[in-house]
Amino acid sequence: MSASTTDVDVIVVGGGPAGACAALVAARAGLSVVLLERGPFPGSKNMYGGVVYPRILDQLIPEWWLEAPVQRWVTRRSTMLLTDTQALTVDFRSEAWGKPPHNGATAYRPDFDHWLAGHAEAAGAQIITSTTVTGLIRDAQGAVIGVRTDRPDGDLTARVVIACDGVNSFLAKEAGLYEHTDAKHFTLGVKETLALPKEVIDERFGVRGRDGVDIEIIGATGGVNGGGFIYTNLETIAVGVVLKITKLGAQQQRPEQIIAALKQHPAIAPLVQDGELKEYSAHLIPEAGLKMMPKMTTAGMLVAGDAAALCLAAGIWLEGVNFAMASGMYAGETAVEAIAGGDTTATGLADYQRRLSDTFVLKDHRKLRRAPELVLSDRVQHLYPTMVANVVERMFRVDNPNPKPGVRRILAQERKRAGVRRRDLLRDGWTGFRSFG
Amino acid sequence: MVSSSGVRERHDMSLPSDVVACLKWVSHPGEPHDERFAGISPADRSALEFALVQAAALGTTVTAVTVGPPAAEKVLREALACGATHAVHVPVHGAMHSAHVADAIAEAVPDARWVWCGDYSLDRGTGSVPAFLAARLGAQQALGIIAVHWQGDGLVATRRLDGGRRELLGVSPPAVVSVEGATAHLRRAGLSALRTAAHAEVRTVHPAATAHADDAVVRAYRPRARALAAPVGDTPLDRLRALTDSGAAVAARGDTVTLEPAAAAARIAAALHEWGYL
Repeated sequence: MSASTTDVDVIVVGGGPAGACAALVAARAGLSVVLLERGPFPGSKNMYGGVVYPRILDQLIPEWWLEAPVQRWVTRRSTMLLTDTQALTVDFRSEAWGKPPHNGATAYRPDFDHWLAGHAEAAGAQIITSTTVTGLIRDAQGAVIGVRTDRPDGDLTARVVIACDGVNSFLAKEAGLYEHTDAKHFTLGVKETLALPKEVIDERFGVRGRDGVDIEIIGATGGVNGGGFIYTNLETIAVGVVLKITKLGAQQQRPEQIIAALKQHPAIAPLVQDGELKEYSAHLIPEAGLKMMPKMTTAGMLVAGDAAALCLAAGIWLEGVNFAMASGMYAGETAVEAIAGGDTTATGLADYQRRLSDTFVLKDHRKLRRAPELVLSDRVQHLYPTMVANVVERMFRVDNPNPKPGVRRILAQERKRAGVRRRDLLRDGWTGFRSFG
Repeated sequence: MVSSSGVRERHDMSLPSDVVACLKWVSHPGEPHDERFAGISPADRSALEFALVQAAALGTTVTAVTVGPPAAEKVLREALACGATHAVHVPVHGAMHSAHVADAIAEAVPDARWVWCGDYSLDRGTGSVPAFLAARLGAQQALGIIAVHWQGDGLVATRRLDGGRRELLGVSPPAVVSVEGATAHLRRAGLSALRTAAHAEVRTVHPAATAHADDAVVRAYRPRARALAAPVGDTPLDRLRALTDSGAAVAARGDTVTLEPAAAAARIAAALHEWGYL
């Protein structure tokens, strides 16, 4: 459609990081942009338990760290392996991460998303809130030419629609971009936000000032495949679990019970003790990476962020906001070029796929394509933590007057005791090496 | 507003609107500078809906008015998107006494024939602006209304009384009507109206009354102290009952009288004084 026959140049659906970046880029290029957000303000209904990795922001908002509503800069990164009674922690700390341009930050999404969308608005995008997009408008050839909303007089047409409507994207499904969806591709993220005085958080987590901690946890999820996390904000901590939906359903466990059990673990309880529950929230996470990704474009429409399943869940790397911001930015750039070139057909928008493929957005997913399945496998979830924890316990246990056993012997004995077959161990090791190596 | 020459600038402030909706923008007490958590009360939304319905019936315009900080303009744009014809913002930083808020509104819309207000704001203020406004405009007042029936150029308003009773008020213009929140449901703004309202004109006026900004002293609510006579009773339990108004102590104190209005008002005042409320 030509500019004269549409209401606006670009409609962005969803005011999360992907939508805000798409709208920002398109508006800065001088296009007329409307961002439609379901909540009362961008970020109002968004949640995560995680860290914002901000490299994409360097390109969009110079010296963003001077103004972004960040809670803490993550300077300490830990990975914990938990069994019922044991904990093994690998802990890393970097002073450099506490200084610009920073490596990662904790933030409240209602603040962060609102701030980011504010930049899009300042660039000229019109943000319309409390408005739900209920469907697509297509022309006679099937090309997407706009959206329907739940408001009276609610149709809006555009030359390009960028769907950033989050996980389980109804727009991407309606456009036929998802071949199929499968519950096993999703996890459920559940989080409690607990209030504690800042000095208590600083003391318990060994940080000062605005420095913060990111702890990723394997094990202690009540037999449901998944993982746990703890993140420090200034005066709250986020404690939560990410649970495989199918396992959760099969075991008929409730997520809040799993969080309660995690909080009682001897390695976790001292960290969360006396925290006052301020918020409980839950959200679906698209965790299957390449296996579940939709086609990214169709005539008149692009998909970005969680709507395009661009969430990296690869064990030691758990990232989503940075993928959302990058894909939104690339979607915005593609829309700008396609509109300038007068071709918003699937061919005209095909460059979006190239941009994703040539950058970390899809390169990381391709490289780590086997990681999500490996990390959520029964062996990694239930057998290896016990085996590794027992190995370490025996290595550090002093059994005088018995002499210290050799590590190889301990490994062999504990592998058998945990019920891990040698060939499975080798296969998983090879898969892990190919993914992370 | 006082110009550099000292002459009050009153010209071009008023709008020729018959129907006015007053909307009070209230910030979240914990986040006073964060407009995400600010807004208007359901009662104000009801008031706006009544104003729109009435204006449509009368074939006239609606002016939405708010007295508040710059962020309050957002609610005026919502009102415009819902169908208000004009929007008037009286910029004020800080709290202002209800009487001065009413002065400012009255100066901004002196010719209003119908003024609709919510009977409470989000911060549950005193609810006294509508009454002050009626006095300033020389208008009838019908406050705390729960139902409205249009009747010719006027209306019949139903007002809640104690004990589940209701009173019907015949109201004719000029009048100030305040309504409860559940009385009407504000229509949902159309998408194109929302887009247009984002760029629509919001008139900013500076009535002289805004010079009183920050004159309201906001304190935590504390009921007035009551002076109580020593309790009477033969046993500690009787004295406790008398002291706490429980049981027979209350029943013994009630009177049912039939009096002319003036005498009834005097009797009520005397009883309140006797009981320590005045």
